[in-house]
Amino acid sequence: MTKPPLLEVNELKVHFYTERGRITAVDGISFHVNAGEIVGVVGESGCGKSVTSQAILRLLDEKDTVEYDGKILFEGTDLLQLPEAGMQKIRGNEISMIFQDPLSSLNPVFSIGSQIAESLMLHQQISKKAAFEKAIELLRMTGIPAPEKRVHEYPHQLSGGMRQRAMIAMTLACQPKLLIADEPTTALDVTIQAQILDLMLELNREQGMGMIFITHDLGVVAELCSRVVVMYLGQIVEEADVETLFAQPRHPYTKGLMKSIPQMDSDRSQKLHVIEGMVPTLDNIPTGCRFAPRCPYADYMCHERPPAYEEHAAGHKVRCWHAEKIAQEEEERSYVS
Amino acid sequence: MNLYLVKRILALIPVLFVVSVVIFLIIHITPGDPASVILGESATAQDVEALRQQLGLDLPIYQQYMNWITDVLRGDLGESYFMKESVSEAIFSHLQPTLSLAILAQIIALLIAIPLGITAALRRGTAADQTVMGFSLLGMAIPSFLLALFLILLVGVKLQWLPVAGYKPLEAGLWNHLKYLILPAVSLGAIQSALITRMTRSSMLEVLNMNYMKAARSKGVKERQLIYKHALRNAFLPILTVIGQTFGGLVTGAVVTETIFNIPGIGQLIINSVERRDYEVIQGVVLFVTCVYVFINLIVDILYGVIDPRVRLERK
Repeated sequence: MTKPPLLEVNELKVHFYTERGRITAVDGISFHVNAGEIVGVVGESGCGKSVTSQAILRLLDEKDTVEYDGKILFEGTDLLQLPEAGMQKIRGNEISMIFQDPLSSLNPVFSIGSQIAESLMLHQQISKKAAFEKAIELLRMTGIPAPEKRVHEYPHQLSGGMRQRAMIAMTLACQPKLLIADEPTTALDVTIQAQILDLMLELNREQGMGMIFITHDLGVVAELCSRVVVMYLGQIVEEADVETLFAQPRHPYTKGLMKSIPQMDSDRSQKLHVIEGMVPTLDNIPTGCRFAPRCPYADYMCHERPPAYEEHAAGHKVRCWHAEKIAQEEEERSYVS
Repeated sequence: MNLYLVKRILALIPVLFVVSVVIFLIIHITPGDPASVILGESATAQDVEALRQQLGLDLPIYQQYMNWITDVLRGDLGESYFMKESVSEAIFSHLQPTLSLAILAQIIALLIAIPLGITAALRRGTAADQTVMGFSLLGMAIPSFLLALFLILLVGVKLQWLPVAGYKPLEAGLWNHLKYLILPAVSLGAIQSALITRMTRSSMLEVLNMNYMKAARSKGVKERQLIYKHALRNAFLPILTVIGQTFGGLVTGAVVTETIFNIPGIGQLIINSVERRDYEVIQGVVLFVTCVYVFINLIVDILYGVIDPRVRLERK
């Protein structure tokens, strides 16, 4: 415990001012990412995972709709206190981000090469020519064939997989210490997904950069991440390393998510498991545990008082009144089978 | 890109053909005989008939068209009945003031519209946005001659900073040239800017919400570059369309403004030749004006391709 983590999010809250009043989309989340580590952030759409990722880079509209609370420490500096100019030096240089849909995230009127070169020229003293040469190198590194040719092409001329590779090349241009990937494979074909994931894992190993991998796909998490944070309705409900989480989930929501993964060897006549009910809207948050209305374990107390977020085993934090009971159940189940 | 260009140009040929037929027919079907107009009321029927033959007006209409169009294709638009010059000379000498005025007015319109439109988009919903939109509504509502009269009264008569009317060619010196054009250009440009401002605002608003704007910000691009490089270029296609339209209107249709400020441009040429029933000139000018419109549209199409690679590359 000598080195501080690369990124430490501390009691982060993100409020939005909307027509329906102030809404808290992210409500006091804390987690950290160590250098070189891949942390998965999992949850349904609307749970606040994308808002969290954009808050880290301060990409949300701060002029009149967003307000932050808490701390986001990057190498000890609180990003929420930095002026815009300071953030501009960090964005794309120290921390960069891959977005969900590569086509809409690339500017259609500039060539791939000039968009990669732009990152380089923003953060390094480098000539346009050298930046383009480096862009070709980066494209080659991400496995794009004939990068000398591709560098002059425009986003609409590339396939979905190649666009995401180009996007990755762009984010890696300045060798950031932290990469935030916001559902980078959701918009891609399954076969391309696997290629992109392999590429990201390879780059993580080679360059030793930390990664926050945001997804709703637990399969991807199992393959890629070393630690997982599960979010529900603006809060973290469970955090554990990936083996523990899959072997002994302690939050009913995590359990539900896992059961929802279709199993190849299961009986096909059985219906897929679904988590009952719908995610409540943010202006209508339950008073007790936020998951209680959909939770099979919920009792009187769950509906009345919100459970605390506590460490139940080393590195395994859960926000549930029944965490111990669920842990026991899981143990018995694994004993039987 | 070259193929795209060739295709665009080839597509113009049928357009221009149809236009030439329509212009010719309208002018020849309208009542009134050029020969009797030229000779005046005191002419005898014999004289009129002789002139009709001389001008070729006794031929069947398709033959008249063939004669006219072959001359036009050779660059000969005919002779004016009243002015001692050919139609092309008349157009050429009236084109210079109109072009100067149009370019100046367009520059003024863009200088007003682009920054205001961007500001309004960036501060959407604020007082600044509402003020800009209010003025733009006003600009679209009032006709440019009203603004022209107001400017003449204020700047020309009351303050006496600028001449109220007239025109000096560029050869008389740049300031002398501009001095006479400022008021008409401002009154035209300010009105034209109203539409361009609206277009800029709505087009920018659309682009500002795009994912690639957020992605560019996540790379560390600075605010200014974000707006003027990443957003404006994407937002510019619809703006360019409006610019093309307004510029076409300026070159060909600033008739009222040219009359108010007594500028000897195309507008005046049209009005005068219509009053005198100078058929050859009317025919020539209208054809010329149409060609200008078509040509401006061609340039706009080419610029689309320059700005947006998707236009340039996908139409191959």
